[in-house]
Amino acid sequence: MRLHTDFYKIWAFSVRSALVTRRNVFAVFEMLFWPLIGIFSVGLLTRFLHLEEETVSFILIGAVTMNTIQIAQLDLSYALLYSVWSKSLKHEFIAPVSLFHILIGSGLVGLVRGLLVFGIMGFLSVYFFDMDLRRPGLTGLICFLLGMFLNAAVIGALVVALVLRFGQRAEVAAWAFSYLMLLLCGLYYPISVLPESIQILAQFIPLTYFLDYFRHFYGFPAASKHPLLYGFGQTVLYLILSYGLVSVTLRSAYRRGTLLRLSD
Amino acid sequence: MEPAILAQGIDKAFRRGLFGPAKEVLRRVDLRVAPGAIFGILGPNGAGKTTLISILATLLRPDAGTATVLGLDVGRDAARLKERINLAASGAHFLWCLTVEDNLRFYGHLYGLGGPALTARVAELLDSFGLVEYRRVTFERLSTGLKQRLSLAKALINQPELLFLDEPTSGLDQDMAHHLREEILRLNRDTGVTILLTTHNLREAEMLCSEVAFLKEGRLVSEGRIPELQQRLGLGDHLSLIFTDSPPPLDYGRLPGVLTFRVEDSRVHLVLDRVEERLPDILAAVHDTGQKPARVQVKPVDLEEIYREITH
Repeated sequence: MRLHTDFYKIWAFSVRSALVTRRNVFAVFEMLFWPLIGIFSVGLLTRFLHLEEETVSFILIGAVTMNTIQIAQLDLSYALLYSVWSKSLKHEFIAPVSLFHILIGSGLVGLVRGLLVFGIMGFLSVYFFDMDLRRPGLTGLICFLLGMFLNAAVIGALVVALVLRFGQRAEVAAWAFSYLMLLLCGLYYPISVLPESIQILAQFIPLTYFLDYFRHFYGFPAASKHPLLYGFGQTVLYLILSYGLVSVTLRSAYRRGTLLRLSD
Repeated sequence: MEPAILAQGIDKAFRRGLFGPAKEVLRRVDLRVAPGAIFGILGPNGAGKTTLISILATLLRPDAGTATVLGLDVGRDAARLKERINLAASGAHFLWCLTVEDNLRFYGHLYGLGGPALTARVAELLDSFGLVEYRRVTFERLSTGLKQRLSLAKALINQPELLFLDEPTSGLDQDMAHHLREEILRLNRDTGVTILLTTHNLREAEMLCSEVAFLKEGRLVSEGRIPELQQRLGLGDHLSLIFTDSPPPLDYGRLPGVLTFRVEDSRVHLVLDRVEERLPDILAAVHDTGQKPARVQVKPVDLEEIYREITH
């Protein structure tokens, strides 16, 4: 019985995210337009520079990763923002739902949207820029996708915590944070080109290891001996920490009256 | 019988910024609400009504004091309590791009409903609140009255045992407000749901509430049934007996139910606890003196008088 009701609660947030996406022309735009722009601008640049096939793949992997993560984390980030924008937060929190239901329900739609974007960008990369997506094999691809989506979940959870603490003005900071992370993890370049002090920071970003892992299939030696171990290890740690942070922030919101303020 | 709501010594203060001064919003508030009652919390804006209702509805933690709702602690047992309560607030707000039906289904799912049970419940609520023809209209396109109806329908999706209504008719036109009040009364009568409502509309409280409590600057200054409050405050219904000549020499203070009296020329002004019950006895006592009043004027006490007495 409990599983049954938990399913409905998770389903509620999934359906809500899906309906908002479907009824909002800008959400569709966001999901298709920017990825298309991203892949063509980067792909055409590589063609102009006459780069080798492996280097083109290196850069395209960065473009695909960036757009997939940005789209995948949106639904999670919007999990509370939808309620804040519509001032209905107190109606959600007076219901017997937990953070688990909200994050999983919204995250699932993010996962589907992320997969869709990855599929579109992957197809365009293969079709127009001769990238060989089959090279890492199914296991390599699944590990990379899993790593990307878990990273998106960490970003989304942090946005949720920021929104609960600072309200919707935190949204801008959240985007800035995710772009900073993408900059440091070596999205379009190996992290060895970063200044040494920044390279240390990059080692604390799990996406660095997932990119490293995926790119080694294209002939770029991995900087770490066990990129998946480090990547998943850090990701799990950050997921636990970010879930803890959201829980603490929610408890604080109950004390500080944030839920009411955000519903006014 | 166990009270539906029992709050003792509730304190709440909000701090402005990290180190700013704390503003006390509720101070040592005690409250007891009987099951099945419609209980009104009255007070001017900023008195702490919404803060109190939010604490009882598990949306806000008190700084001090304890509160149980339906026998469950609002802090420790919040998860179990949430299953059995719901809230409708003024200025209904729901996700703009979801239709009336989507919104009801969304909130139904949040209460663990699904499948045919949810479909039936949504259909029942759409029908009860006259929302069937608007079921596919998105929230942003509804009128204020329809939004408020949806808000009340949503508040009943889980068939709550206790319903919090935070200024439910605020912003509605007279007709719509009247209709909604009728709806609230019908709900209470048909389902026995306990209702705690906040309002600063005294007429509304008079029409709906069996008991009321007055909040003033975060303190609960008086609480009880309206006739009890009236008695406690020495307020009562006004009865004026107007004679053609000087009034008969009666000891008016000893007549049944008389709280205070004043004789002025040919008039006697009496303040009574319940004029409708006392009037025949008082008129009989006057008749016994051999005089008859030329005119009798009755003005029942209203909540406004009580409110003025308490809050000023």
